[in-house]
Amino acid sequence: MDYPGLIKLLAPECVVVLTALAVLFADVKFWRGLPNGRRFGRGVTLSTVGLMAAALFAEFGENSADVLMGTLVLTPVSQFLKLVLLLLTLATVWLCGDTDFTDHVGEFLALLLLAATGMMLLISTENLLMIFVSLELVSLSLYVITAFNKRSSRSAEAALKYFLFGGMAAGFTLFGFSLLYGLCGSIHLPDIALALNTKGSDPLARAAVVMVLAGFGFKIAAVPFHFWAPDAYEGAPAPAAAFIASGSKVASFFILTTLLQSGMPGAAGSGAWKAFVPGWMPIVAILATASMVFGNLAALAQSGLRRLLACSAIAHAGYALLAVLADPPDAKPALLYYVTTYAMTLVGMFGLVSVVERGHGDDSIGRLAGLSQRSPLLAACLSVFSLSLAGVPPLSGFFGKFYVFVALVKSGPSYSSHFWLALVAIAMSCVSLYYYLQVLKQVWVGEPLGDTRPAKVSAALTFVVAGLALGVVLLGCAPELLLAHFR
Amino acid sequence: MTWIIRNLWLIPALPLLAAGLGALLQRPQRRLAATLSIGSMAVAFLIACGGFAMTLGEHTERQVHNFPWFQFGETLLQLGWVLDPLTASMLVMITFVGGLIFIYSVGYMARDENFTRFFCFLSLFAAAMLGLVISNNLLMLFMCWELVGLASYLLIGFWHHKPSAAAAAKKAFITTRVGDIGFLLGIVWLYHETGTLLFYSDGAGCLEQGALAKLVAQTTVGGMFVSTAISLLLFCGAVGKSGQFPLHVWLPDAMEGPTPVSALIHAATMVTAGVFLVARMYPLFNAQFTTGLTQDSVLPPISTALQVVTWTGAITAVFAALIAVAQTDIKRILAYSTVSQLGYMFVGLGVGGPAVGMFHLLTHAFFKALLFLGAGSVIHGCHEEQDIRRMGGLCKRMPVTFTTYAVGMLALSGFPLVFSGFWSKDEILHSAMNWPVSKGPFILALTGAVLTAFYMTRQMWFVFFRPRTELSLGRGDGVHDFVPHESPPIMTLPLVSLAACAVLLSIFATPVWPWFDAYLAGHLSELHLGWSGDAATGIVMVLSIMAVVIGLGSGWALYSRVGDGEAIDPIEQRFPGIFAALRERLRVDEFYEITILRLSRIVTALSDGVDRFGWSACVDLVGFLTVGLAWMSRYFDQIFINSGFDVSCENLRGLGRLAGRLQNGQAQRYLRILAFGVVLLIVALAWMGDSSR
Repeated sequence: MDYPGLIKLLAPECVVVLTALAVLFADVKFWRGLPNGRRFGRGVTLSTVGLMAAALFAEFGENSADVLMGTLVLTPVSQFLKLVLLLLTLATVWLCGDTDFTDHVGEFLALLLLAATGMMLLISTENLLMIFVSLELVSLSLYVITAFNKRSSRSAEAALKYFLFGGMAAGFTLFGFSLLYGLCGSIHLPDIALALNTKGSDPLARAAVVMVLAGFGFKIAAVPFHFWAPDAYEGAPAPAAAFIASGSKVASFFILTTLLQSGMPGAAGSGAWKAFVPGWMPIVAILATASMVFGNLAALAQSGLRRLLACSAIAHAGYALLAVLADPPDAKPALLYYVTTYAMTLVGMFGLVSVVERGHGDDSIGRLAGLSQRSPLLAACLSVFSLSLAGVPPLSGFFGKFYVFVALVKSGPSYSSHFWLALVAIAMSCVSLYYYLQVLKQVWVGEPLGDTRPAKVSAALTFVVAGLALGVVLLGCAPELLLAHFR
Repeated sequence: MTWIIRNLWLIPALPLLAAGLGALLQRPQRRLAATLSIGSMAVAFLIACGGFAMTLGEHTERQVHNFPWFQFGETLLQLGWVLDPLTASMLVMITFVGGLIFIYSVGYMARDENFTRFFCFLSLFAAAMLGLVISNNLLMLFMCWELVGLASYLLIGFWHHKPSAAAAAKKAFITTRVGDIGFLLGIVWLYHETGTLLFYSDGAGCLEQGALAKLVAQTTVGGMFVSTAISLLLFCGAVGKSGQFPLHVWLPDAMEGPTPVSALIHAATMVTAGVFLVARMYPLFNAQFTTGLTQDSVLPPISTALQVVTWTGAITAVFAALIAVAQTDIKRILAYSTVSQLGYMFVGLGVGGPAVGMFHLLTHAFFKALLFLGAGSVIHGCHEEQDIRRMGGLCKRMPVTFTTYAVGMLALSGFPLVFSGFWSKDEILHSAMNWPVSKGPFILALTGAVLTAFYMTRQMWFVFFRPRTELSLGRGDGVHDFVPHESPPIMTLPLVSLAACAVLLSIFATPVWPWFDAYLAGHLSELHLGWSGDAATGIVMVLSIMAVVIGLGSGWALYSRVGDGEAIDPIEQRFPGIFAALRERLRVDEFYEITILRLSRIVTALSDGVDRFGWSACVDLVGFLTVGLAWMSRYFDQIFINSGFDVSCENLRGLGRLAGRLQNGQAQRYLRILAFGVVLLIVALAWMGDSSR
């Protein structure tokens, strides 16, 4: 494979990297003297152009290739997911449009775009080394943008915790990978799968499985690797938090499923009720159950919107992990539909969080009181997002859960084998309704505190939030629009 | 040209978009609201014409576009749309007549303060109706069907400050709901039997040979074929929506809505949804168990479902025409005439197939919209007066309205040769005469034709011809008296266009050139110059002309003597009992009041009592038990647990404060838990491995 060919295959990633450099350069060289708002305005415009171009390459470029033993693997699904990631990045970038948390505009946008590049590389590889490198690219960029609000000590504290935790998790992942390499003698997933067919029950393989899952459990914030999430969600600037909660999750879930289902089928084991067989399945089942129970119960006690979203994110990681347990043909479409729509919801939610914070200085749920009178459109969007997160039909959150549960119950030796997980998930969904409805109660019933003038919101933010809400409704009414691309 | 097939959805989507945008407009933005609605209809009309042109060729087959909606497990739900002559002709009719009515509404509603809301509802209605017509899936059709019901509820009750309008809206909604129960059951049964609700899908649809063969091969209660049973259930929906006896009661009351609504919904489009449903499902209604051996068996050659359709239609046609004779409200007469004409359409479907019924549907849509808009113009000109006994002599004062109304009246009566109503009615009569089962529907239809000509003559006399000495109208108290005037051009132009169509359409289905028959059947027709019909055709035509002449003549003879003032009706003088019964609409409403409504009130009271004294007692009991338990557990908590818990909580809180003071303490603990978690999971795996061995 020659370089021009490689660049052609990697065109979307290259375009995003070039955009990141261009934004950084232009900001340092030309825009320094301008007020922050205008710098962000120009930076966002430039990034938008670059992301759109990358999206075009992802949509119309090459969509199947396998280069250098799985170092670069393109499939129609991964190319479509790149498109999704680019659009999520675009929405996140637009959230920056009217914020002023930092003077380092170019650096912030460049790091955001680099994180996006990492995510795109992460989903187009079947090679352990490449997975690790991309994972680190994503993580390092995200650590830094978490710390970007230098005026807030919370931001710095959150970033440090996130970094320490992430560093240790990465250590575990690397340890796990090296054990896998030692056992199988390859870093190429199909080869590992072959080798594990005979060595699947080796104790070393089991240790490797747990360590790998520890690393990914950190990325997706599954219990007990979730401790960083509430702090990071609370301290990070809104666009950074939105990106941690959306794009990073989508990419991590995709590669986790690939790794487990096509890389380690030999070490799967079984998570069927009362018939556990050691392997990654029982571990995932444990992580999922713990996340669903802990996340939902912890969310009940939260009074801040960001911490509430963090706890609900832990719970949702639990639901999504259930899809990993399903049989391969059903698992990925259900999982990707779930995380994509979830990511859209969270980006929208963080947009609304930034509106509330700008108006009041903090994000407590009580501040939402009377939003329906101050801005009916945003209140409607918030309702759509909350109800979708709670899983109310016909919004996409409902169908996401529905497809995951169907895929889960259908899998396994008999219908009853994974049923216990579905039962836990449904029971916990009922619990979650309580805190989502608390939010809506404030929005629609609560009396506005003090300020009753219409909320001041920039057109770009309104556009992004309304567009995402529309998408959540539309994809709920016609799920096939999205699902068809994931099959 | 496949562009049109793939994008047929645009036709309902455009008005829907107009409705959505209209809902966001403010009251003063009248011009924008009207422009949006009319513009969307105009574009939809153009696309519909494109679709229509596609179905005109020599070898045009039915074209469908199906797409998956969603899938769960093995079940794939598909939606889609279909373009065939049936759909195309309906699309053109709805967008054209609808567009004209939209334009007319600009004038009619000019003084209403909720003008923008009115156009929003009108667009919603048009979108639902167009969606109904293009859908290739019974479920999608049903959804649009219900949306049509919703839109009609909103529009009938548009002047909801009038109690009668609110009541009429409620009545329309609930009465059609009765029929819809049957419809829904039919859908569920059909899906259960065939596993699909797509009409056409390359041989796998429910209206195609495979599914039909399966449906007629089974019998159900009373030896009925399953296909017949399902057809009858679906027909329940059609009876409700198309106002057939015994569910016709809502339609005359629905005239409480603004007149353009009556024209659009209760004459031209919504009520025809039922007829369209039967035409669409005709293969199912017509399905018969036929093998080679049943040529001379006891099976009737006409399916039971179609017989029911025919008889229902025939009875309704005469029944409603009789009632119309004794009404005095200008719109109510037209409403009963609509019910009667819908009966004709069902007779046409039953005895002659989709082409016969649908042609009457199309011609009727034009001239009935014309009549309603004309009536609206009269009402507008007479300052909201609707009683024909208070009108008179308008032919001089409203010449355009009079001329166009006369065209519509002659078309409705079936006046020979140049009016479209004559040819479409003639075809129905012709098919009815050749119907092998019975001559009953033919005789009923002929009676209906006489009555139709009669009551229309009566109406024309009262409204336009009757001489009036004083030139004012109104309540006669001198304060509210007005001089009637002609309506503005924005209202008369649609009238003229519709009148032209009422005449021109007649050329498409004469026996000389039966173009429409052939078009719906999917092949080209040749022009027969000269007389091509047999003797029976001639006889039917003569009978039909005689019926019209008798009706017109007797009407003129009876009523031309009625002069000015509120004289008693000539029929009333001779048969006061019968006339009173007819004026009271044969007391069907009262009958429902004392039977069904009273029954439902009794059941309601009964269930209210059970609720109040039975269930609520149980609930209270459970509630008291729970409260008791809660008290107990609270005391238990306070005495035994809390004291210990409080101490430990205080300790934990103290530890937490301590940890908070140490800046990095938390992160370290996090990391410790992380490591601990990993170790625990590995141990768990090892333990699991041991126990499974």
